[in-house]
Amino acid sequence: MSSNIYLPHLATITEIEPQTPDTTMLRVVLEDSTLAQSFTYRPGQFAQLSIFGIGECPISIASTPTRKGSLEFCVRAVGQVTNALHELDVGHKIGIRGPYGNSFPLAEIEGQNLLFIGGGIGLAPLRSLINYVLDNREHYGEVELVYGARSPRDLVFKGELNSWGEQEGVTAYLTVDQGDERWRGPVGFVPPFLREIAPSPQEKVAFICGPPIMIKLVMEALEEMEFPPDRIVITLERKMKCGVGKCGRCNIGSKYICRDGPVFTLEQLKVLPGGLE
Amino acid sequence: MKRTKKPDLAKWLNRVAQMYDLFGPSLDGVVQFKRVKSSEQLVFGYANSVVPPKNLFLPQTECLFAFRRERGSIILGPAEGLEKERVLFAIRPCDAHSLLLLDKVFNGDLEDTYYQEKRRRTILVGLACPSPPKRTCFCTSLGIDPLVAEGVDILLTDLGDGYLVEVTTGKGEELVGLSPELFDPSAEGEKPKGEKGKSLEEVVEKIGSLWEDEYWRELSRRCLGCGVCTYLCPTCRCFDLTDVGSTLGGKRFRCWDSCIFADFTHMASGVNPRPTGKERVRQRYFDKFSYFPEEYGALGCVGCGRCSQYCPVGIDIRTIINEIIARGTK
Repeated sequence: MSSNIYLPHLATITEIEPQTPDTTMLRVVLEDSTLAQSFTYRPGQFAQLSIFGIGECPISIASTPTRKGSLEFCVRAVGQVTNALHELDVGHKIGIRGPYGNSFPLAEIEGQNLLFIGGGIGLAPLRSLINYVLDNREHYGEVELVYGARSPRDLVFKGELNSWGEQEGVTAYLTVDQGDERWRGPVGFVPPFLREIAPSPQEKVAFICGPPIMIKLVMEALEEMEFPPDRIVITLERKMKCGVGKCGRCNIGSKYICRDGPVFTLEQLKVLPGGLE
Repeated sequence: MKRTKKPDLAKWLNRVAQMYDLFGPSLDGVVQFKRVKSSEQLVFGYANSVVPPKNLFLPQTECLFAFRRERGSIILGPAEGLEKERVLFAIRPCDAHSLLLLDKVFNGDLEDTYYQEKRRRTILVGLACPSPPKRTCFCTSLGIDPLVAEGVDILLTDLGDGYLVEVTTGKGEELVGLSPELFDPSAEGEKPKGEKGKSLEEVVEKIGSLWEDEYWRELSRRCLGCGVCTYLCPTCRCFDLTDVGSTLGGKRFRCWDSCIFADFTHMASGVNPRPTGKERVRQRYFDKFSYFPEEYGALGCVGCGRCSQYCPVGIDIRTIINEIIARGTK
């Protein structure tokens, strides 16, 4: 069995960066050094992470392929595997299968202005593309980020949110559903916050990732702002097991989110049965 | 074309069982394909097995690999392959057709080595269907001829006192060649004529218009969600991956799963994109008659009728097909 699609590669956790009370970022390095060098992926793809004896779960790759050597995964503790991932220490081994899925449309967005809209841990896959764009700055136009979380302590990648905002040509707008005593920024959900900011659709592509209700309302808001459906890009989440379009559970219509997605344009979702549900 | 007498077929199967792992219809609670040591363990005179032979290629539970923690690292053990070549005796035309459909899924761009090895190392001996067929059979409506098994290495047709033997591949020749004296090579074509109806293209054309139809809700009110239709379906192939053991050591298994089960799409976050029976039942029929044709260019049903026969509340796929044709628009 030379290329067994179900057999994970071993990887070592080299760094753990807690992000919020329930979310942490794991940096991992593939054990096989040849593979670690040759492992390539595109922003928007995901991997299946294994803890042997617990199971597997699909997690977006939060790092950018422009920064080689390690992979980063931002994991919220919500299920069996993700809770177990939170129990691990530096030096522990996990399994990795992937990269899986299509990716964000990299070539098609060259020269465009980019609008990223994220909610909660939904920033993780967007972060891969944001850092990719910033590492290839000359190929892309203005970058805007509209990001919200339930509370200030639920914002992920806080350090990068600050440093991105300080870069020329990058504007970061942050909001929280509920503030705390130290929060001085805007309070409110992402969709109405986005309407307030009212970004221009001129030569711009919008990228959305977040909880389903946020995605739905943001898509509606962007359409009202006259973003064309082929310039609204969404990355979706479904329960997955195989990651390669065989186990049968993550489909929307005939499209498997693991294989044909997770990235779709609104134009593509509109023609899938149940694509907007 | 060759002929063989029934006692000679039994002798041949005994010879086959010495050289290969022989699987055939046998009675283990219900008729299903089991490993047999001799032809005496086989049953004849049934219309079709209750359990389709897909489990020989996609077992209900299958170990993919073993793992164990050792000195701070993890050792992944290889999967167990097949010891011997296998012979699957008496696969019916509908089930033989289902394997060609499963091939499209598991032998596609990303090959599933577990399925593929089992397919590659299994010789198929088809058995044409008796007439009249089972009450729930409708393969002819799906363009399948109950007397012709596509994709088999040998096809047998029961002629009463013996079998007509059509050898279609080199592997089939080898198998017959184990005991050539048991086969009369001079038999002339006296094969009964089969029937092949029109394929249900109309269902494929119409089902898309019924996404919002109230019919799926009505159907789901009767459905108990037991999933027997999917487990006994020769083309249903959904599976789960699950670990058994502990983080110290264990095995990763693949197990059958079902789109009819509530937790099939239920994410750890609490979100379930198919929250009620309506979405789950609709998924099953859209997969058979819309998604599978769209992706693989063939209907995802072979008309074996097992789902209709064994549904505890009498949901009949033929009724559903008729409803789709009656309600849908092109």
